[in-house]
Amino acid sequence: MNNLIKKRDIARLRGVLYSNIRRFFDSRGYLEVETPILSPDLIPEPTIDNFSTLFQNDFLGSRELYLLPSPEIYIKRLISEGFGSVYEISKCFRNNEQMGRQHSPEFTMLEYYTMAFSEKDSVSLTVDMLRETALPSARGASFLSSEPVVMTVRDAVLKYSGLDLDVLQDEDEFRAAAFGKLSIKIPSGEPWDDVFNRVFCTFVETAIPRDRLVFFTDYPAQINCLALRGEGDGSRYRRRWEVYAGGLELANCYAEETDPEVVRDYYRKEYDALLRSREGSGRVIPKSDAGFADIFSDFPSCSGVAMGLDRLLMLETGSSDINDVLLFPFSI
Amino acid sequence: MIKAGQIDKGMGLLIKGAPFVVVEREFVNPGKGSAFVRLKLKSPTTGQTLQETIKSQDSVEDIEVVDRNYQYSYNDGEYFHMMDEASYEDVSVPMKTFEGYEFIMREGDSYRCTTYNDEIIDIQVPSKMVYLVADAEEAIKGDTVQGATKFVTTETGLRVRVPIFIKQGEKIRVNTETREYLERVND
Repeated sequence: MNNLIKKRDIARLRGVLYSNIRRFFDSRGYLEVETPILSPDLIPEPTIDNFSTLFQNDFLGSRELYLLPSPEIYIKRLISEGFGSVYEISKCFRNNEQMGRQHSPEFTMLEYYTMAFSEKDSVSLTVDMLRETALPSARGASFLSSEPVVMTVRDAVLKYSGLDLDVLQDEDEFRAAAFGKLSIKIPSGEPWDDVFNRVFCTFVETAIPRDRLVFFTDYPAQINCLALRGEGDGSRYRRRWEVYAGGLELANCYAEETDPEVVRDYYRKEYDALLRSREGSGRVIPKSDAGFADIFSDFPSCSGVAMGLDRLLMLETGSSDINDVLLFPFSI
Repeated sequence: MIKAGQIDKGMGLLIKGAPFVVVEREFVNPGKGSAFVRLKLKSPTTGQTLQETIKSQDSVEDIEVVDRNYQYSYNDGEYFHMMDEASYEDVSVPMKTFEGYEFIMREGDSYRCTTYNDEIIDIQVPSKMVYLVADAEEAIKGDTVQGATKFVTTETGLRVRVPIFIKQGEKIRVNTETREYLERVND
C-alpha cells in the first residue's frame, strides 16, 4: 500500500513538473515540438552507443533504425527551417552505459533552443526556469534558493587540482603532470581529452559544493563537439557549460556551431573515431553521411540546453536513486 | 590484473605498491568522453583515502585477498584485537583500519574479515544490527509532539537518535551504515 502511494505520488509530481516546464516555455513564445525517437539517421558520436532495431517491410525490404540518444538531430533540422525557439520533452535511449543510481538506458530529456542567445544567456534562463518550475515541495531546496556558482573549467581545475590547463596544452606534459597528482598510471598515448576527464572527474566533480547549482563554463577545445570556440585567447576553449546540483550532472549547453564547413569537418573526425573504436566489435556503426551537415548552410545563431528530467525530479524529491523516480525501473 | 568494470566495493587493489580497499565505486560518463569508474580507496594501515578515476578499459593490479571469520575480543585504544576462529590466534588491527566501526562492533561477535598476506585489511559488518539500549534519557514530561526524538547509548557506546518511547534495557535495530534507528525489537 505504502509503495502504491509512493508510486502514485511520483507520477503526480512528474506531471506537475512537466506542466510547469511547458507553461514556462509556452509563455515565453517557445514552440513545443515532437520529433521522432525511432530514426534512420544518427549523429556519429563514438562516446555514445545506440540501440538499433530492424525496420521490415515486405515491399520495401529491411533496414536498420535507431532509438535516438537525443532529439538534437531533428530539432536542429526544424531550427534550420526557421522554427525559431523550440523545446521538447522526449524519451532518449543510450546503450552500453554503466547502470547505477544516476543512469537508466531509457530516460527523459528536456531540450530547449533559444534563438540569438549566447550560452551565457542560457545560464540565467536555466536558473529562472528551474526556480519558476520547481515543485511546491522543492521551492525551499537549497540548490534552488542558494546563489549559483558560475566558474570556468580552467579555474575549477586549477582550484581543485592545481593543474593549469592554459599551460598544459601539450599532451605529454599534461599526462605527466596529471600522473603526478593521480596514483594510477595513465597509458602513454592517451589523448588529451581523456586525461582531462580523469582529472576533472577525480578532483573537480568530487569537490564542488552540493548545495547549489554549479555551472562549469568554457570547456577545453580539445573535446571535440558542436559548440563554438571562443575568440582570441579564448579559442583554447569552447563556449559550452555543464551544470551540477547535489553532485548530479543535470544539464549541458552549447553556443551552437553554425558554420557548415566546421560541422562537416566535425562529422568526418567523429565518424573516423567511431569506425576506429567500433570496427569488428559488433557495435552500431551508422552510415557515414546522413546529409546532416547540409542543414547548416543557413543556421541561425542560438544556444541549446539538454537537461535530464529524471535527475531533476530526483533532486526535487530528494531521491538518491534514479529508480526511485521511475514507475518501472529498468531491470534486465 | 583486473578490468575497471569488475572492480567492486570491498575489493583490494595495489596502488603504487601499497594495498588499498575500495570503499566507494561510482560509474561516471562525462558529457563527451569515455566511460570512467570513480573510486574512493582507503589504506588499511594508515587510513589514508585516495580518489581515483579510471577508464572502463583500464586494468588495475588487484590483490589476492582471503575472507576469514574473526571474533572481536576488545580494543585497547590503539588496536582492535581479533581472534581467528580457525586458529584461535589473536590478531591486532590498527584502529584506523576499522575507523568508524569502534562503536558499531560488539565484543564477542563474529565478523567476516578480508585479509591480505595474513593481515586484516577490511571488515564486513552486517547492514543492520540489534543493540541493547544501555543508557537512555528520560523522555521530557509533557513532550507529546509526534515524531519527538531523544538520544540513547547502546551497549557498544553508539549514540542513536530514537523515538521517545524507547527505554533503557530495550533492544533496537540500527542501520550500521547511516547509524539510524530502524525499529524496536521485541524478544
